[in-house]
Amino acid sequence: MSAGASAKAEGPQPRTADWFVDRAADAGLDFVHVNGMSGQFYMPEVIGSGVALFDYDQDGDLDVYLVQGQPLGPGAPASRGGTPLTDRLYRNDLRVEADGTRRLHFTDVTAQSGIDARGYGMGVAVGDIDNDGRPDLYLTKFDAPNQLFHNNGDGTFTEISKRSGTDSRSWSVSAAFVDVDRDGWLDLYVGHYLRYTLEGNSRCVSPSGAPDYCTPDSYQPLPDRLYRNRHDGTFEDVSARSQIARAFGPALGVATADFNGDGWPDIYVANDGKENQLWINRRDGTFENRALLAGVALPLTGKAEASMGVDAGDLDDDGDDDLVVTELTGEGTNVFVNDGAGVFEDDSARTGIGPASTGLTGFGTAWFDYDNDGRLDVLAVNGAVQVIEALRQARDPFPVHQRRILFHNLGGGRFDDVTARAGAAFALSEVGRGAAFGDIDNDGDLDVIVANNNGPVRLLVNQAAAGAHWLGLRLVGAGGRDQVGARVRVTTAGIVRHRRARADGSYASANDPRVHVGLGGSAAPSDVVVQWPGGRSETFTGVAADRYTTLTEGTGR
Amino acid sequence: MAVGVACVVMTMACARHDVRQAVPDVPLPDISRAATDVQAQLREQHAVMTRVVEQPSSSPAERAAAYGDMGKLFVATELYEAAERCFANARQLAPGDMRWPYYLAHVARLANDPARAAGFFEQTLALQPDHVPSLVWLAEMRLAQSRPADAKPLLLKAQSLAPREAAALYGLGRVALEEHDFAGAVRQLEAALALVPSASRVQYPLAMAYRGLGNPQQAEAHLRLRGEADLPPADGLMGEIGGLLKNAAAYETRGGQAIDDKRWPDAVRELRQAIAVAPNNGFTRLNLGTALYMTGDANGALEQYQAAVRLRPDLAKAHFAIGVLKETAGDDAAALDAFGAAVRADPASSEAQLSLADALRRTGRVEESLPHYADVLRANPSASQASFGYAMGLVRLKRYAEARDRLAEAARAYPDQPGFAHALARLLASAPDDHVRDGPRALTIMNELLKTQNTLSSAETMAMVFAEVGEWDRAVAWQRQTIDAARQAKQPALVARLAANLRLYQQKKPCRIPWADDDPVHRPGAK
Repeated sequence: MSAGASAKAEGPQPRTADWFVDRAADAGLDFVHVNGMSGQFYMPEVIGSGVALFDYDQDGDLDVYLVQGQPLGPGAPASRGGTPLTDRLYRNDLRVEADGTRRLHFTDVTAQSGIDARGYGMGVAVGDIDNDGRPDLYLTKFDAPNQLFHNNGDGTFTEISKRSGTDSRSWSVSAAFVDVDRDGWLDLYVGHYLRYTLEGNSRCVSPSGAPDYCTPDSYQPLPDRLYRNRHDGTFEDVSARSQIARAFGPALGVATADFNGDGWPDIYVANDGKENQLWINRRDGTFENRALLAGVALPLTGKAEASMGVDAGDLDDDGDDDLVVTELTGEGTNVFVNDGAGVFEDDSARTGIGPASTGLTGFGTAWFDYDNDGRLDVLAVNGAVQVIEALRQARDPFPVHQRRILFHNLGGGRFDDVTARAGAAFALSEVGRGAAFGDIDNDGDLDVIVANNNGPVRLLVNQAAAGAHWLGLRLVGAGGRDQVGARVRVTTAGIVRHRRARADGSYASANDPRVHVGLGGSAAPSDVVVQWPGGRSETFTGVAADRYTTLTEGTGR
Repeated sequence: MAVGVACVVMTMACARHDVRQAVPDVPLPDISRAATDVQAQLREQHAVMTRVVEQPSSSPAERAAAYGDMGKLFVATELYEAAERCFANARQLAPGDMRWPYYLAHVARLANDPARAAGFFEQTLALQPDHVPSLVWLAEMRLAQSRPADAKPLLLKAQSLAPREAAALYGLGRVALEEHDFAGAVRQLEAALALVPSASRVQYPLAMAYRGLGNPQQAEAHLRLRGEADLPPADGLMGEIGGLLKNAAAYETRGGQAIDDKRWPDAVRELRQAIAVAPNNGFTRLNLGTALYMTGDANGALEQYQAAVRLRPDLAKAHFAIGVLKETAGDDAAALDAFGAAVRADPASSEAQLSLADALRRTGRVEESLPHYADVLRANPSASQASFGYAMGLVRLKRYAEARDRLAEAARAYPDQPGFAHALARLLASAPDDHVRDGPRALTIMNELLKTQNTLSSAETMAMVFAEVGEWDRAVAWQRQTIDAARQAKQPALVARLAANLRLYQQKKPCRIPWADDDPVHRPGAK
């Protein structure tokens, strides 16, 4: 293992008053999620939804896909302002002026895309299922079969759900494309939540007898699904054979990474109120759940916690992937630090992240370097799942909203809650659910798109990293597919950082698959060692800073 | 003189009036969404409080107590802001009473503000330095603030004052874990468990401590014992709040918590009270039935389950529970009815489907069982019991090729469940269908299985296999040994069957009946 980055923060500190500015409205992202609530406290109301950042038209910038809800029960609105409730695809028409100014604008291309999303939407996963270089879309649902849309490459998509065999009807939230057998084709892991129907909705109350949302304990969980890609547009359900269906809970978050450093992708599943699973790949088509002994099934208290959003990333740059898992109010976000062999310590308290987030219910989250100082920070979007009494007393119509939270990585395993300094966008109290992280304006820093439950989308454009240097990598295989799962070791002026290409993680959302590395004050070119998902390792030297470079498997040393 | 007395009286009256006015009013918050009986309870308590605080003759201590009682009810109903106002008033009126900062601390804790809570616990300890619950709770707040070094002396003091306070030991164990003192963590957590063996929540951090010591076997042993039963400090003051609410939902919640903690008698008590308040709640009857069953009162449980389905015919779990009880009692007909009702009420219930399938197969209605096994497997591809049941159903229906294929697939899917491989081997050795039998493959499977499986059944199968591959002497020898073992195990029916097959092998004839129709493998759940 190479030495981790131990330098102090380099480069200029954020100068502007607002580190993130919401530009959704300005940029034409006029989407408002509708959760379909009707006063019956149906559970799906507080669970959705997700958002995807992906370059569907392969023009080099990230487009946006937003998942919509539907009316639940009588009295719920069937449209918003007369506009039918449907998922939306927005094309990014980013324009970079001669002076470097970036003009963000999104165009709603849903109608012409051919994407006919049906049912109550939950989440979205992105992956190139046929290695044609174009990302495809998988949509998860509450009350309808999940849908798989093939990207035709001409701005349109074709639904192949039934033919593909991935049209599970079980309530699904997060899904992840991952090449579990390293055959060069993306397989699909789908997390299933609860066995629940509106008709069977239990009436749950607070201790005072006031109606409230039920907890997942009121219903039975469902086993997840693993689908193996047959290379012909169809998938085989290998849930039983792979043994991932032998242990399950109400799955909300899914993140894939090589947690034990053996070169094969593993799967971490965050379950709501039950023990989480760590499916270690046994390299023979089967998986073993080692979450308990690995120390990631439960926090150190031993109490099963809610566990909604999850991300894997190297918080201490020691070459392995650590975990952040968002939790319920009163529990605090969990941080599990990997020893490199897939054994974790619960460092939630020691990092400071746990104590600072105790008052919040977290969903979408990610390890991301917001200030380009070279260390991975953490952002979580929050919003309760049961009524906040103080808000109910204030007659709030949707009394579950909370503010987002941003943590700055100080090094040495410590984080600082910098929310108060992040700007007006972080003072908003909303019902955050999905969050996707990526460089939406291609200016070298990571932005965040937030899917609020029953509220407007937020496009948080990063202004915190101005002046700091960065390295952008697009890792592709033959055919141009984004090689999600590829790990990189980046050495810049003697400092080593570790990152991974990934689209999964967070909550019900899909991230920018490009690798972003903050370099702080150094603009020196970097040497990059890529561990490709298939097992091959290659070196690329002299990769320039402050731009995106495409590295293609087979072209390195 | 009269004027002087009047002035003194006026001054005293003004002073009393000043004391009354010194604390802010605590109006009743919006309780319109609370249950009707809870609203009544809150209104009544608020009226009592108002009467006392406005009574000119009330002493400050009496007023403080009135605010305190109101505050406790507000805590019980999670109206924390109103609770805080009450306790703040109580503290102002009776500043020497440690109860008020103590309750303020808990309000802050329940409102997820450990820093504020810690401040109030410190104030409590300033009034009563040896209050053990305050020491333990303050330590918990320090742990929540990631300050284990500050938690430790508090817990040590608590332990010195109350050596049998298991929560202090539990806290010390967690402090040790934070400090990576794994040996110390083991010592403390084992001591906590020795005092309260039912505190299953302690097992997980104890397992992590053993893991830290490099002892994964002990870690796994404790992981197997993990559970949700927590270990809070003995706390009479907070205990007063726990039982304040008298509405059905509160009894139900307390009953549910008791079920989670496996405190069955407590669960029965709380749920009976819930039913006394709301007798027509089918869910409550279902939960009470479960609690009664766990205390060993099967008849009482059945009574509650039957009441539940009368009230809620769609309550699949209650039908299922009735089915289980009837099955245990050997009443297959009633069990079938109940499982069938459970499946009709909730077709997606895998447990009901599986139990119904097993009951159908057990009672000879094998063809009818297959769709139910299939439903279970569609919902959960890893449901091995359903997979086995389906395969054995096919055997019973003499669909040997299909059975073979299912068993082969299952053997691959569940390598740690040797029953599938064993069943496959027996089928390959003795199926009447020539196209299904494969003696050499059966021999390979059994040679591997016998390394770890040495049972009468596996020995019987091995004899079948030897017979199928033509090794008659070995078949006879194995069968004789198996008969001897069956005699020693006092299984006369098995001895008779084995003897019949022995005669076949002695005549150099193979067995062609893998399992008799009355073999236990065809009667899952039989009593």
